[in-house]
Amino acid sequence: MARPSWSRAWQLLGAARRGSSYGTGDSLGPGVSPPEPEKRPSSLTSALGAGSRQVPSKNVESFASMLRRSPLVQMGPAKDKIVLGQIFHIVEDDLYIDFGGKFHCVCKRPEVDGEKYQKGSRVRLRLVDLELTSRFLGGKTDTTLLEADAVLLGLLESREIRQKE
Amino acid sequence: SFSPLSVVPRFRCLGSLGKAAPSTSQLSSRLYGTLLAPEANQQLITEPLRHPDFFNVKELFSLKELFDARVHLGHKKGCRHGFMEPYIFGCRLDQDIIDLDQTMKHLQLALNFTAHVAYRKGIILFISRNRQFGHLVEVTARDCGEYAHTRYWQGGLLTNAHIQYGTGIRLPDLLIFISTLNNVFEPHVAIRDAAKMNIPTVGVVDTNCNPSIITYPIPGNDDSPLAVELYCRLFKMTITRAKNKRKQMEVLYGLQNKGGGDGNAGSHLSSVQV
Repeated sequence: MARPSWSRAWQLLGAARRGSSYGTGDSLGPGVSPPEPEKRPSSLTSALGAGSRQVPSKNVESFASMLRRSPLVQMGPAKDKIVLGQIFHIVEDDLYIDFGGKFHCVCKRPEVDGEKYQKGSRVRLRLVDLELTSRFLGGKTDTTLLEADAVLLGLLESREIRQKE
Repeated sequence: SFSPLSVVPRFRCLGSLGKAAPSTSQLSSRLYGTLLAPEANQQLITEPLRHPDFFNVKELFSLKELFDARVHLGHKKGCRHGFMEPYIFGCRLDQDIIDLDQTMKHLQLALNFTAHVAYRKGIILFISRNRQFGHLVEVTARDCGEYAHTRYWQGGLLTNAHIQYGTGIRLPDLLIFISTLNNVFEPHVAIRDAAKMNIPTVGVVDTNCNPSIITYPIPGNDDSPLAVELYCRLFKMTITRAKNKRKQMEVLYGLQNKGGGDGNAGSHLSSVQV
């Protein structure tokens, strides 16, 4: 399988996206796909292959094209991206927030408006990492914490234009 | 959790699993098709085997559903298990992405196998050592009338069952792993023990798991709640569907026997779907 060329193609795509204007004020809710300009060099399309093209007659999207259009991939590196999350579990002061990635993140309840953070509240986060892993001395594989890392910025303001789920 | 007392009502020793006492094997052949004539019983068992997807498990899930449940998300590159590389689509910014086209195929095979086991009145045991979804797995098992084991696995549960729980115990016919790792990120002992006892296994393998000994691996995410809920829902639907189909077929063959005519058997069955 041409896995090395695939991963390199993804990195090139990521570099192209990062080059385009991507302000830090971008908010992505889970499941939202922002409109993306279709400026992709021809070499990349040939590298990505036939699997990424949609078949309009059958109206069934291929996995590769779904992946390419997904918010997770369009976002690029997770560092310092603003996303929306939803609190799904609370243990006293710890808020377990799901923002659409593989793992949830755990944040401390802030002092400001502390009691407003309940199960189901929508919050704004600044991501640090999608999965906390690290290779320790003597380890064959990375040790993972099964958690993402994010900074809680505050509640989602209801006056803002709500993005559809 | 899997307790031996709950196994007793279905007291049937299968010869392939452990030593069956001679008296019980005669009992089992009598109990197997209690009310049906031998020929009808034979057709009841062999008819589903003639179709590649008798229970139509393909319609239970779609690529979009798997994608929205985040089944394609894997761990970081550093956590990857070497044997999972064939199932990985690529690596995006250090995070492995599982190939959902392969997952679709494997999921269809696994669900089809589960349905066949449930159709033949096999005992299914759900296993997951992931504490976040332990309750969900137990509820799923209870809802489809099967068993679950989400606690600490004692060493000799399968391999030493006849001594720990008495002779003539019936072991599960299928193990379904919602997560194949235990709490210290090592492969669950039950995978190896099931292979030793000739019990087939179905398991969801993430990018940090070892898929080698599992009979029907399903490459996919086992850490997100949405994904695990999807798997539980799919297994529950498959098992329920297979059991209902079994009841349907028994009624069909029962009526056939009462009517005395067996000429319409084949055509009648081929028109019955779901």
